[in-house]
Amino acid sequence: MKEMKVIGETELGEGRYVYCVVNNVAKKSLGNIGIERAEVYTVPYKDIAAVVHACQSQPYQSRDANKVMGWILSHNDVVDGATEHFGTVVPFSFDAIVKGGDTTIKDWLREGYEKFKNELERLSQRAEYVVQIFSDQDKLVEKILVEDQALRELKEKIGKMPERAGYLFRRKFELGFNDACNAMRAKLVEEFASQIKEHVEEMEIERKISHLPENYKDKKLIAAFSCLVHKDNVRSLGQALGKISQEGYAVHFTGPWAPFSFVKLEEV
Amino acid sequence: MVIKVDEGNLKQGLLGLVVALVEIIEEALVRQAIRRIESGRLTAEEEARLSEALADIDEALKHIKKENDIQDVVDSVIDGLSEVADVFLNPERWEKEMKKA
Repeated sequence: MKEMKVIGETELGEGRYVYCVVNNVAKKSLGNIGIERAEVYTVPYKDIAAVVHACQSQPYQSRDANKVMGWILSHNDVVDGATEHFGTVVPFSFDAIVKGGDTTIKDWLREGYEKFKNELERLSQRAEYVVQIFSDQDKLVEKILVEDQALRELKEKIGKMPERAGYLFRRKFELGFNDACNAMRAKLVEEFASQIKEHVEEMEIERKISHLPENYKDKKLIAAFSCLVHKDNVRSLGQALGKISQEGYAVHFTGPWAPFSFVKLEEV
Repeated sequence: MVIKVDEGNLKQGLLGLVVALVEIIEEALVRQAIRRIESGRLTAEEEARLSEALADIDEALKHIKKENDIQDVVDSVIDGLSEVADVFLNPERWEKEMKKA
């Protein structure tokens, strides 16, 4: 989508901020629910429509992180609202702006019609769910020490050494422990992925998460997945996660969200 | 990696960067020292001296970080550098992520 962003434009012209593309036939206002209370409305072409607001053709930028966070939340609210209203949506990332007016949007929809239509079809009845699996720090340490004799012996040795003289051995333990921890996490990610995959259409393994849920602050993240799930499979996915939870892991399962991670529109 | 410097916090940012680099060097020294110990060529007294010297560096770094309140800056510099290193270690995944973005 990068080519859509207008950056460093000196003469600001008309622009349209695009939230998502939906199945729709009529032009319709959704009210002043957009970024900075902009009026959000649909621009239809054939049986699809873009959900937009009118703006200048320059990106929303600010050094004030709270302001940017507010914009992003508004963006997500509009996409969620559109999902409720129209069913399936093809969501866009924050700050996707098309230079031009409604006519340009119509042309843009016409050019990409087949791709948008295919995506709406592919994502229909499906939503994105986020699965994060955590372990207690103590349980993880215990599990690693049970499996790793060398680390266990090193830990005992450190216990008998004076503070400063034992420093290097403590560091050796830390480095060895981190390696063992990463290896165990990689193994568990694969195990969890194989337990989940039969219930999802598509799955992305996330390397890190941007926001640690409040209740999980004292735990260690083991695995995070974004999953595209058909509505008929949400219950069975929940049951599979229930089993993982019974094995002693804390599972954070959220959704449905608009399928941000699964839109494939590279060439539009 | 983009390093953002807030003019009001220039000292903190710069000091954080320096301390982050020293921490990275210290870790390389620690790994080297561990290898030396494992080679079995050091006497117990030499091992203890090496350990104490590195413990002193570690303590000094902790003190500087606490005094200047730069733990977050240091962490973010090290995270940023780890991501750059990751590009070299795992170029295929990076390429995939760039396409997604």
